[in-house]
Amino acid sequence: MRRLSITAVSVLQAIANGFEYGFDIIDTTGLPSGTVYPALSRLERDGYVRSAWENDARAHREGRPARRNYRVTAAGVRALADARDYYQKLAGLTRVKA
Amino acid sequence: VTVPRTRWLRACEWILAGAAPVVPADMRRDWMREWHAELAHRATRQSHAGLPLVVRSCGALAHAAWLRWDRWRLEMLLQDVRYAARTLIRKPGFAVITVLTLALGIGANTAIFSAVRAVLLRPLPFPQPDALVFVSSTTVAAPTRAGGAASPPDFVDWRQQNRSFTELAALYASSYALTGVGTAEQIPGATATGGLFNILGVPALYGRTLDLSDDAIGGADVAVIGHGLWSRRFGSDPSIVGRTVMLDGVERRIVGVMPRGFAFPLESELWVPLRLSERELATQRGAHYLEVVGRLKDGVSLEQAAGDMNGIVRQLAAAYPRTNRDKRAAVHTFRDALVGDVRPALFMLLGAVGFVLLIVCVNVANLVLTRALGRTREMAIRTALGAGRFRLVRGVLVESLLLATIGGVAGLGVAIWAARGIAALQRGLDIPLLDQTRIDPVVIAFTAVVSIAAALLCGTLPAWHTSALGQLAQRIRADGGTGTGDRKRHRLRATLIVTETAVAVVLLVGAGLLLRSFMRLTSVELGIDTAGVQTFNISLPETRYSQPMQRAEFVSALLDDLARQPGVDSAGAIFGLPLSNTRYTISMSTLDGRRLSDEEQDRRSLQVRVATPDYFRTLRIPLVQGRPFTASDRLGAPYVVIVNETAAKMLWPSESALGHQFTLGTRMGQEGANAGGVVVGVARDVRDFGARVPARPTVYLAHAQFPVDSVAVTVRGGAGSSLLEPLRAVVQRHDADVPIFRVRTMEQLAADAVAQPRVYMLLLGLFAATAVVLAALGIYGVLAHAVSQRTREIGIRLALGAGRYSVVTMVVRQAAGLAIAGLTIGLGLALAAGGAVQNLLFGVEPTDTTTYLSVAVGLLLIALAASYVPARRAAGVDPVRALRYD
Repeated sequence: MRRLSITAVSVLQAIANGFEYGFDIIDTTGLPSGTVYPALSRLERDGYVRSAWENDARAHREGRPARRNYRVTAAGVRALADARDYYQKLAGLTRVKA
Repeated sequence: VTVPRTRWLRACEWILAGAAPVVPADMRRDWMREWHAELAHRATRQSHAGLPLVVRSCGALAHAAWLRWDRWRLEMLLQDVRYAARTLIRKPGFAVITVLTLALGIGANTAIFSAVRAVLLRPLPFPQPDALVFVSSTTVAAPTRAGGAASPPDFVDWRQQNRSFTELAALYASSYALTGVGTAEQIPGATATGGLFNILGVPALYGRTLDLSDDAIGGADVAVIGHGLWSRRFGSDPSIVGRTVMLDGVERRIVGVMPRGFAFPLESELWVPLRLSERELATQRGAHYLEVVGRLKDGVSLEQAAGDMNGIVRQLAAAYPRTNRDKRAAVHTFRDALVGDVRPALFMLLGAVGFVLLIVCVNVANLVLTRALGRTREMAIRTALGAGRFRLVRGVLVESLLLATIGGVAGLGVAIWAARGIAALQRGLDIPLLDQTRIDPVVIAFTAVVSIAAALLCGTLPAWHTSALGQLAQRIRADGGTGTGDRKRHRLRATLIVTETAVAVVLLVGAGLLLRSFMRLTSVELGIDTAGVQTFNISLPETRYSQPMQRAEFVSALLDDLARQPGVDSAGAIFGLPLSNTRYTISMSTLDGRRLSDEEQDRRSLQVRVATPDYFRTLRIPLVQGRPFTASDRLGAPYVVIVNETAAKMLWPSESALGHQFTLGTRMGQEGANAGGVVVGVARDVRDFGARVPARPTVYLAHAQFPVDSVAVTVRGGAGSSLLEPLRAVVQRHDADVPIFRVRTMEQLAADAVAQPRVYMLLLGLFAATAVVLAALGIYGVLAHAVSQRTREIGIRLALGAGRYSVVTMVVRQAAGLAIAGLTIGLGLALAAGGAVQNLLFGVEPTDTTTYLSVAVGLLLIALAASYVPARRAAGVDPVRALRYD
């Protein structure tokens, strides 16, 4: 399995933390929109997240169109755990060296 | 749902609308919806609307581009590659020819680039190599020239006063006879002050390097050895550190072994301390023989360092006007000092080989176009089935990419083979670092970039054009077809051929100029007869040959013995062998008994050579006046000298040189006598520094009177190398501890002297020849196609009574038209690009009329030859069959 990039991990983690809309993910990760959206599309293509449209009624109540939300899939949860392990190990290595 | 449409939101929508077409059609609706929803969501919260929202919506552009790219990549990989591969396999002839041409073009580019990288680009093997510099002592006349040696007192002053370098070190290249362990061997190395290794920043593999403590007068006799010498002569034994070896008759303790690959100066294998005595520092301000290297302090630029050094040099000039007047200093990086001279030549070759690739690409583009004709139907069907133009373009592009990738891989194979050849050229060419030529990751990356560029170059135009075929074919079906598209395509092909021819002309002119220059260069009389002369160097160790008489007698007895060997005609010896690049210039101090003023001394400096009596006979240097040295010109007899014609003309323009006498400002004689004497002969000029450099005013001293310890022995005999072993044995017999080194024939030396121009000429010639062949093939292809397209027209003409001759003329005129258009553009380009070869030319102007005319005539003839077959085919058209055929 290919290892996730830092950007992908950040986005995936943000979704796992409950930020499920594109712009909210941008806000929470601090990454630019031109980075987050391609990352979302890639994660969806690779099966780590799944997207759906929110309930029309709720959007209507708030006077705006329905938004697309993202959820982490089972494969995404595994990939996130792997990546977290890896980056933690890497951080450990860097500390030893320094 | 209505969202208040603010100014900002409208700007965001424009951006979305701009990006939307890039998104793959099946995803566009959802994409649009998502972005709209997010923007609207923010817009409803007033605090988030505004410029930041516009900035954020710009991400939609990147998102759209990514989606398109992702889709494209997938499809390209899966579909187009498979399709391209199938099409290519169906027509293997086309694929093979294209791949081979591309492989040659890409391979040649990679090979030349690998040489450029080795010589000019790859970092030198030292920490922070850009801070490493040579400091040269120069003059007002050429203040920035690299390579000027410094005198010991100047070096010490530079070292103490500068503020730009962490350290300065001095060294001179030297060689030492290693004796006492097996066969005596002369080891190239350097005598250097201890700071050298600190500056270079390379630690020893075993033991230690030289350091500043080694500079002290009276210090221990130590040496550091190189990895090659260590493994070759000492079996890679680490316990060698601390042992003593005999070097030039002196016992030296080895204190360190340097790691593999360390050789500074290039090819050095041995380093011993340079110790400057008080006496040297007091008396040698005019003796320039030290190379000075340093490491720039952090943040100090080359210009600042040069400014600092020139400040010091000016102070020294004021303090020591006699020796330091008009002196300057120059600071060059190692790279510049080492290879500054070959940079233009290498870039010229890189440019030329780039041109070859351009021609290759044009030719391949032409092949692709020709092939496209056969695919009109296929394109029409694909268009009819709904393939967009973009899709068709992509298909052809992928095909070119596939071809270029295979071509690139094959080209890399060609380059690996060629790089080995280039590295092996180093010895003869004497281009520093050329032996480091190899294919490394950077070179591979270069190949990849070149391959992709080639794919785009030879794919784009035909791709666009081919895709038009689909629409064209449909149009033809609709309106019966007038063939306008065909004419357009023919025009495109003709344009490609003209481009190709023009580039070929530029290369041809370049090759022609280098060829003529090379012919000039090799036709210059060097002033010596190189045929059948074997040379080698010997160096007498100071410990056992400390007395001048001992050295004179050794050399004289050795030469007598050598001359008596079977097959030997004569044997001589000289300090400062022609073409060996020995510079030893000394100013005159007295002339006919009169002491010369400082200014007169500056104007009258002579290249000093020290020769034995039979040297002139051995190299067949005629004496135009007077006599050669004889056995009676020995120590104790009156000092005599021979001057060359240039010196005689310079010193005594209107009278004979014979009988005049002078001395030089160097105490080479017995008991410190100045070198010089009475002129007894005038020798014909010799171009000591190769054909490009006219003979310098030269004085020959008699070796018996000024017995220097290091000479080149020259032996004239029959077949060169068969003499060598007996000669080596003779030297061994005289003194087993005197090794012979720099063993070469004079013919080799002469060939090496023109090796660089020869290789440049051959390479450019090869490139030009390739270019011409490809251009001729291109012209042939266009004409052949034109004739086949016009078979019906030619048939009608013939049926209506046109003569075969006029048909032939028609085809030939077309060929001439293409060639003349290419020639006109090419000659113009060549005139503009003449500067690229200017530095490499000798005795030929970059605008040389003969070259231009020859190229023009030659190319026209080639174009006509290329039109021969198509013209014959046109003339052979049978009108009846041609008409029926249609």
